[in-house]
Amino acid sequence: MTKEILKFALLFVVLVLCQVVVFNHICLFGVAIPLVFIYFIVKLPVTLGVNWLMTLAFLLGLTIDIFSNTQGMNALACTVLSVCRQPVLRLYVPRQDDLSNPEPSIRTLGLAVFMKYVLTMSVLYCILFFAIEAFAFFNPLQLLLRIVFSTILTFIIILAFDGFVTPRR
Amino acid sequence: MRNLINFFVRYSAWFVFVFYVVLSCILLFQKNPYQHHVYLTSAGAVTAAVYDVSSNVTGYINLRDINEDLQRRNATLEAEAVALHHQVRQLRQQLLQDSLRGLDTLGRFDFIIASVINNSVIHPYNYITLDKGRADGLKPDMGVMDQNGVVGVVNVVSERHSRVISLLNPNFRLLCKLRGNDAFGSLVWDGKTPSEAILEDLPKQVKFGEGDTIVTSGYSAMFPEGIPVGVIMGSTRGKDDNFNTLRIRLLTDFTTLSTVKVISNRDIADIQAAETDLH
Repeated sequence: MTKEILKFALLFVVLVLCQVVVFNHICLFGVAIPLVFIYFIVKLPVTLGVNWLMTLAFLLGLTIDIFSNTQGMNALACTVLSVCRQPVLRLYVPRQDDLSNPEPSIRTLGLAVFMKYVLTMSVLYCILFFAIEAFAFFNPLQLLLRIVFSTILTFIIILAFDGFVTPRR
Repeated sequence: MRNLINFFVRYSAWFVFVFYVVLSCILLFQKNPYQHHVYLTSAGAVTAAVYDVSSNVTGYINLRDINEDLQRRNATLEAEAVALHHQVRQLRQQLLQDSLRGLDTLGRFDFIIASVINNSVIHPYNYITLDKGRADGLKPDMGVMDQNGVVGVVNVVSERHSRVISLLNPNFRLLCKLRGNDAFGSLVWDGKTPSEAILEDLPKQVKFGEGDTIVTSGYSAMFPEGIPVGVIMGSTRGKDDNFNTLRIRLLTDFTTLSTVKVISNRDIADIQAAETDLH
């Protein structure tokens, strides 16, 4: 139990540092921004209560906000995303009691389901984040391009990151 | 009573959800950047420490471009210095003749050199973090420029760090004028690319050409008059018939900012006192 908490605390710190030091400065073709820190919400165990899930997601978003001066944008999007996580998982994994390990990963869900799950979460987050951002300048074409390409970039980097941090059998 | 407790326990998720959403919306709709608390910005102690370390590593990456900019700027300044020496000599001679005293308007500005430790250009509201703070004499509302032109204005100050509202932020409007002409308009970012902005409300009768330079107006205490801001790219149709709206290419390259100058105005207390007396 303590080991799990330490593991997720480390993951939180590593993801926040990666996001604010590296990924926040990436903007491919002026549209694609990787929002890799949602990997933390993706990886939290499914047995975790929804209150804890929301609290951790809110804190994650707030930390990113403080670093990138976005004032509440990521906090709001993360809170909403964390609430959407359970329905998304239920969509692909109808019976969660069958899972051998409560932590979603390629091994517990299978490659195809895990990829679908990560892609859905990335799409949801990019839609939420860029819709909130569009309160400042509303430009429909740019909004659409940003959502589509940021989703693709986020998805690819999260999969790569997952391959990097998951221990080999 | 037990029913009430049961009710709260059963629907606790909803209360927690609404609580977090309201909290983030309060942050989100706090539009005025001067109301942001220092610990919720990148000038806070922990955030600034992280950016200090990362800028120590990444600070070398753009040095080649910055060096080129500095060389160019150095060359123009040297040429200007030669011209000014010449002018000073002439004026001294004239001074002896007229026994008049020259006014020293630029003397009331001091410059504080600071390093950029974090910078963003991809958000709608962009901010810059500097490694100098209150201890180095920075105060909110001081102007910031680099070797090419205007960068922004200091907004939140902590003991050793500060956050600057970038020119790439619609919360910041800057009064600018054409070089060699006193007609002014207001410069604001339209969120399209980090290298372009819009000059609004320039009176229709003012003549301009593509490639003309836009400089600060000197009407605010933040910037001295005549600091370059951008170059006219062309005009877009104004909303109002009496005013022109121009598209401006910014001289400052916001993607490679590294060292900036914070402008401190020695008379700012006097000017502000005078301005508040008027109201």
